[in-house]
Amino acid sequence: MTSHKSTREVLLTCIDDIEIIAKELLDNLIAQKQQKPVSAEHSQLVELVLQKDTELKATLKLAEEQGVLQQKVVALETEVERHDIEIRNLQKQLKEAEQLLATAIFQAKQKLQAIDKANSRPVNSEELIKFAHRISASNAVCAPLNWQQGDLRRPYPTDIEMRLGFLGRLGEMNVNGHMSFPELLHRPNHSMQQGSSVPNSQAGTYSWLSQNDLQMPGLSVSHLGVGGGMDHKTPKKENEDVDVMSTDSSSSSSSDSQ
Amino acid sequence: MSTRGVETDEQQRIRFQVELEFVQCFANPNYLHFLAQRGYFKDPAFVNYIKYLQYWKEPAYAKYLKYPMCLHFLDLLQYEHFRKEIVNGQCARFIDDQQILHWQHYTRKRVKLLQSQAEKHMMTIQNEPTPQKSV
Repeated sequence: MTSHKSTREVLLTCIDDIEIIAKELLDNLIAQKQQKPVSAEHSQLVELVLQKDTELKATLKLAEEQGVLQQKVVALETEVERHDIEIRNLQKQLKEAEQLLATAIFQAKQKLQAIDKANSRPVNSEELIKFAHRISASNAVCAPLNWQQGDLRRPYPTDIEMRLGFLGRLGEMNVNGHMSFPELLHRPNHSMQQGSSVPNSQAGTYSWLSQNDLQMPGLSVSHLGVGGGMDHKTPKKENEDVDVMSTDSSSSSSSDSQ
Repeated sequence: MSTRGVETDEQQRIRFQVELEFVQCFANPNYLHFLAQRGYFKDPAFVNYIKYLQYWKEPAYAKYLKYPMCLHFLDLLQYEHFRKEIVNGQCARFIDDQQILHWQHYTRKRVKLLQSQAEKHMMTIQNEPTPQKSV
């Protein structure tokens, strides 16, 4: 197939050939005037010219047909281009749609996860409000608005508050009343005046526990075994701690504003 | 110590109060420093007790807490590295300072808000008379 010349080359070579033959003819004609005529060559040349002429005409016709085909090809190519553009557009739109859908699905899944999470651990809104009130009313999580440097209130229980609490009192009774801890457990109402249950009797003394909530509804008893060995040791330790803490240099011991 | 039997209701109640108070004491970094200095954190029994106290993180128990940041310190105490660090007085002071600053965070924010509100109000009041004057 490489031996096929393009139509343009064929045409051009044809024209060149005709040019050469025409030159020969003319040379011959000119030479004829001066020398003897070489008519055999002459007629051959003329035949050659005619032959080349027909070749040329055929090639021209071929070129015309090829031209028409070329136009068709160009038209088809533009069609193809147009279709290509449309396909690319569609592709782009599909991709955008896919992205949007993927984001939507992702967000929906997240919402579902959040819903599941919320449903798995439901909290009574009233309890939430109670808890929020408890931790903020006493300035435990947010400083009071008029707090200045040197104000003794702190975001944690100070040593005075600790001493005034149940643990501190437990320690005092242990040291002063010479009661052992087991006795204390069985006789919690010794120092308290009111009621039969310990929580109610502690009503005004410390701000640790909110009085209404000490019924311990449905607390699990599973901590009994684990905490067992520690109970006797640690309260006694706290007693020592609470007494000795007054020597702690980093906390002041002046009167508590609360 | 007496024999380990089933606790009576009364004992349980007392233990609840005791542990409630004790776990909230952890919110005080000075107290933690105090405990560390006296070597309580080196006692394996005490370390086990701290681990046991983690039940206060459950919502059923946590709702009784007044100082919820004690739970954060409870978590920190589970790590030996923290228990060793808190022996250092500087560490305790740093934590104390940061805690107090954080405590003031909302107050500061509120004060700023109120100030900006007041400023806006002042500006609107000042701008009001001028249109009248031009009329």
